[in-house]
Amino acid sequence: MRIIVQNAKCQGHARCAAHAPHIFKLDDAGYILPGNIEVAEEEKLTASRGARSCPERALKLDLNPAARVEPDVIPPRVRRA
Amino acid sequence: MATNPVPDHVPPEMVRDFSLFTSPGMSPTPNGDPHAAVACVHSGPPIFYSPLNTRDGRGTWVITRASDQRRVLQDSETFSSHRNIFASALGESWPMIPLELDPPAHGAFRSLLNPLFSPKRVAALEPAVRERAIRLIDGIAASGTSCDVMKDFAFPFTVSIFLHLLGLPDDRIDTFVGWGRDLLHGDDVKRPAAARTIVSFIDELAAARRNDLVDDFMTFIVQAQVEGRRLTKQEVRGVGVLVFVAGLDTVAAAIGFDLAYLARNLKDQELLRGEPGRIVAAAEELLRAYPTVQLIRVATKDIDFEGAPIRKGDYVSCATTIANRDPAEFECPNTVDLAREDNRHATFGYGPHRCLGSHLARREIVIGLEEWLARIPAFRIKKCTAPITSGGHVFGIENLILDWS
Ligand code: HEM
Ligand code: SF4
Repeated sequence: MRIIVQNAKCQGHARCAAHAPHIFKLDDAGYILPGNIEVAEEEKLTASRGARSCPERALKLDLNPAARVEPDVIPPRVRRA
Repeated sequence: MATNPVPDHVPPEMVRDFSLFTSPGMSPTPNGDPHAAVACVHSGPPIFYSPLNTRDGRGTWVITRASDQRRVLQDSETFSSHRNIFASALGESWPMIPLELDPPAHGAFRSLLNPLFSPKRVAALEPAVRERAIRLIDGIAASGTSCDVMKDFAFPFTVSIFLHLLGLPDDRIDTFVGWGRDLLHGDDVKRPAAARTIVSFIDELAAARRNDLVDDFMTFIVQAQVEGRRLTKQEVRGVGVLVFVAGLDTVAAAIGFDLAYLARNLKDQELLRGEPGRIVAAAEELLRAYPTVQLIRVATKDIDFEGAPIRKGDYVSCATTIANRDPAEFECPNTVDLAREDNRHATFGYGPHRCLGSHLARREIVIGLEEWLARIPAFRIKKCTAPITSGGHVFGIENLILDWS
């Protein structure tokens, strides 16, 4: 499973990190770090809880990333000022 | 108070006799439940016009659905925060910062302040917050079997944390509590007087910190840079006044509403006392059920929104008290479920202005509940007393006399 992180929508509620700090890493201002998150099988439940807790809907679940035609490496996004 | 007639562009069938200020249950009411009173809008249309829905008697559009509120609050290009609410009450014009600025100017100040109130920073403040809660509650427990939670705990607790941030000693708690009370609940004479007092206090404190740097919030603000320059005196004031006002009544009211709920629901009270591990999730649900703030935006252009002809200059109200009772977003929204999952409530707003103090507020509330439940045995609302609640721009609870004899 993969979590698609839409940084532009993140407003630093930090609810995701409150559920699973080791999965959802925040910067010093309290906003989620850029880059999608690959989730290990055994973390699926916690991770989807965390993703569902985002009030801004900044986190999307991608349950079957392998089925997608996509480059393996997602270029790191530029962080907003 | 100016009463504005309904503007011509508002279709008469979209006007409703509803207001956070004048509807039933909104004026100070003994044993009131203003949240239940506003929840009834969900049986009506998703957006309507309220002819009198601000403190100074202006009309606003009212957005009831949480998902529509997100659209408004996430789109600051169309829905601006320029309002000068605080200053205009004084006949002046300067923004509270960052509250009344729009992006991109908002972002520069917000980035400056974010690290001061980040989850990490708040975790570091935790011991100081807990120490204050314990000191106050121990004092209450030692002096009897009843108290007024608002006067004896909620306000002194939140004000003393604010004083701690400002690097000021606790001996001024009573003065500050008085200013806050006058500002939020005073009449037309006391309110502007308190606002003026708070402004001068912030101005003087900023001046003192410019001369004599110490390690506190105001020193940080007077030294900080945005866009390669120091903040102007007016900007320093805008930040200082906002942080004073924003964290005062909101956290105290949350603690008051939460303890009022627990005083009336002894099973839930026992559950949390027996299993304090549940308090974090419970506090989240109580934040959802008893939010306080109405967010106002001003339309920057004409837009048709869900069938409503919003015109440039119209006020748009997104009340968190209404969003959190939206049945489309929360199952059984009028039921308190202390273990509710996926609790994406609107209490701290949505969009770029998401409450800067949300992480601090959550810690204060959780710590307040933890220490209260650990130190005060089964409590109820004292016989022959009634908490007085009110609606308005910020919902409030004036008194809460508990008894554990
Ligand atoms: C339970 C307590 C609290 C509630 C319910 C609450 C609610 C809110 C809401 C709804 C907003 C958004 C306003 C808007 O978008 O127009 C906001 C903004 C803000 N709050 Fe809070 N607040 C609370 C506690 C605090 C505390 C303790 C502080 C202290 C630092 C604080 C500081 C701020 C600031 C500075 C803003 C403006 C942020 C911006 O415009 O970017 N709040 N608050
Ligand atoms: S919950 Fe959403 S808004 Fe909050 S930090 Fe996580 S991604 Fe950002």
